[in-house]
Amino acid sequence: MHRFQLDLTLRRAEGALVRVLGTVERRGFRPLGVEGETRVDGDRWHLRLAVEGERAPGTLTAQLAKLHDCLAVEATPCR
Amino acid sequence: MNGAQWLVQALVAEGVDTLFGYPGGAIMPFYDALYGASLRHILVRHEQGAAFAANGYARASGRVGVCVATSGPGATNLLTGIADAMLDSVPMVVITGQVPTPLMGTDAFQEVDVFGMSLPVVKHSFLVREVEALPEAVRDAFRLARSGRPGPVLIDLPKDVQTADASHLPPHAPAPADALPAPLHGPLDDALALIEGAQRPLVYGGGGIALGDTVGVFRAFVEATRLPTVLTLRGLGALPASHPLNLGMLGMHGTREANLAVQEADLLVVVGARFDDRATGKLDQFAPRARVVHLDGDAAEVNKLRHAEVAVLGDLCLALRRLTRAQPDCDDWRAQCLSRKTEYAARYDAPGPSVYAPQLLARLSALAPEAVVTCDVGQHQMWVAQHWRHTHPRRHLTSGALGAMGFGLPAAIGAQLQDPASQVICVSGDGSFLMNVQELATLGRYRLPVKIVLLDNQRLGLVRQWQQLFFDGRYSETDLSDNPDFGALAHAFGIAAFRLERADGVEHALHCLLACEGPALLHVCIDADANVWPLVPPNRNNAQMLFNPEDADAPLPA
Ligand SMILES: Cc1ncc(C[n+]2csc(CCOP(=O)(O)OP(=O)(O)O)c2C)c(N)n1
Repeated sequence: MHRFQLDLTLRRAEGALVRVLGTVERRGFRPLGVEGETRVDGDRWHLRLAVEGERAPGTLTAQLAKLHDCLAVEATPCR
Repeated sequence: MNGAQWLVQALVAEGVDTLFGYPGGAIMPFYDALYGASLRHILVRHEQGAAFAANGYARASGRVGVCVATSGPGATNLLTGIADAMLDSVPMVVITGQVPTPLMGTDAFQEVDVFGMSLPVVKHSFLVREVEALPEAVRDAFRLARSGRPGPVLIDLPKDVQTADASHLPPHAPAPADALPAPLHGPLDDALALIEGAQRPLVYGGGGIALGDTVGVFRAFVEATRLPTVLTLRGLGALPASHPLNLGMLGMHGTREANLAVQEADLLVVVGARFDDRATGKLDQFAPRARVVHLDGDAAEVNKLRHAEVAVLGDLCLALRRLTRAQPDCDDWRAQCLSRKTEYAARYDAPGPSVYAPQLLARLSALAPEAVVTCDVGQHQMWVAQHWRHTHPRRHLTSGALGAMGFGLPAAIGAQLQDPASQVICVSGDGSFLMNVQELATLGRYRLPVKIVLLDNQRLGLVRQWQQLFFDGRYSETDLSDNPDFGALAHAFGIAAFRLERADGVEHALHCLLACEGPALLHVCIDADANVWPLVPPNRNNAQMLFNPEDADAPLPA
């Protein structure tokens, strides 16, 4: 079982959050916690997602990175 | 000028010449703008037909296919064709009408959240809530649809955005597709070293070869390195079927020589393929002795299902050009692969008076070597994969990943319209054909000279075959012996039809079919119990193929 945190920067576009959460679940990971906000510049979501799953984290980050609204994604293991 | 008129001008500026659709309330301003415009609109008879026709147009041409529907049921009817484009990486732009923005979220008449429903099956989507957002959405939709790994992009367009004043908007400026990055030198050098060091190297090519317009470079690579090659369903034609190094399709209905080569190889050079379960069989026993060099434009495919010792990411053309200089030393292995190919070559001398579908298809493809063949899903689809003499992946349109019955006829319509001079043949089954049979009206209306070969076994054949082999012969709901009279059905739409019942009539029937000027249907009666062989049973590895038990030369199951 892998548990890790995803740090995502998203375009603040309609559907961006649902796309990310949908991708996480469809690709076989469970969200454990979600935290996020739009920053002062107003056109970016900064999202932190704790997730767990059997598959390697790289299989998920590679899928998230393909989303047009996902500008950056990084995974770090949860302690 | 309103938003809808702006959009029509944008489509023209984008180079769109044909779109497929069906009108309705929420998309009426767009249809009004189409009236008298230079765009050719093809009126299908079901929105699923529009999506599959745009899909076929895109597959055959490599250009973006465009389809249009109204909100609610029009939009939901598109979904299967959109999903098919997503799973097979087909560039499409899908335009749906939506209820006016003030009514959105109020359960208005024909309001459906198609933006939400389609999220998992689109590459991207836009809900354009104000007319000012239209130019960027349209530009990005076309750019994204064809960039990198292509896919469908949806634009949901509320009615009031279509009618809003758009005279202040800049004219549409098409954006070029984003180029894939050049592959890194390090992995290319590693790949070269692995290829040259391998004793039993094998190329495993997939649909990504045609997506990247890499067919010519791929052929040059295989010819220069003289590596034996297996192909996936979507890769068929990347090497011509007649090419000596082509061992054919791998996987569930792959050739014996392809599957054995994969299981014995010590190196797989994977080009634009993704270890799909229909190709690999039991994944943990797939190519058990092989290291993997994986070349792909989509980084997410690498290490998804099988670890790659070397990953070469980015532009396939550039990667293959570089690898063309590899000089593997594997003469014995190549000779072994090629001699198996001769030994296990398909035979077409089936006994008895019945039409043998594989023989008919092999013969038809010899008579029409340049044809684009589309098919539906089932046994006939696998026979086309196995026995058609494929010459190019863009001439073999098949619903590979989604496996959607109903694809064949509308896809043929799209393929015919993208190149009216081409010869288009649709091979269908009696089950699949009725899923989009209404598109016979479209064929008739536009007099498209598509030739339909309907292989009628009066069964949902592929499901029946599985029931026979894996469900103790319990034939649950697969009997179609009360089929309609397909010839009369075609005639009702103004389409010529012939019936073929005996093997000795094949030659004459095929000539008659091909000689027809307009659309025509050949209704071919085949045995209900004909099966597709070989077959790798579920949860078995690719060396554990089953063969026709009636074939005296067939090996016993491994
Ligand atoms: C839309 C859809 N529904 C159901 C299936 C499941 N399915 C796969 S093959 C098949 C039978 C197809 O029958 P037919 O078109 O007559 O072709 P045959 O196998 O007899 O050649 C079915 C029902 C499917 N692939 N697509």
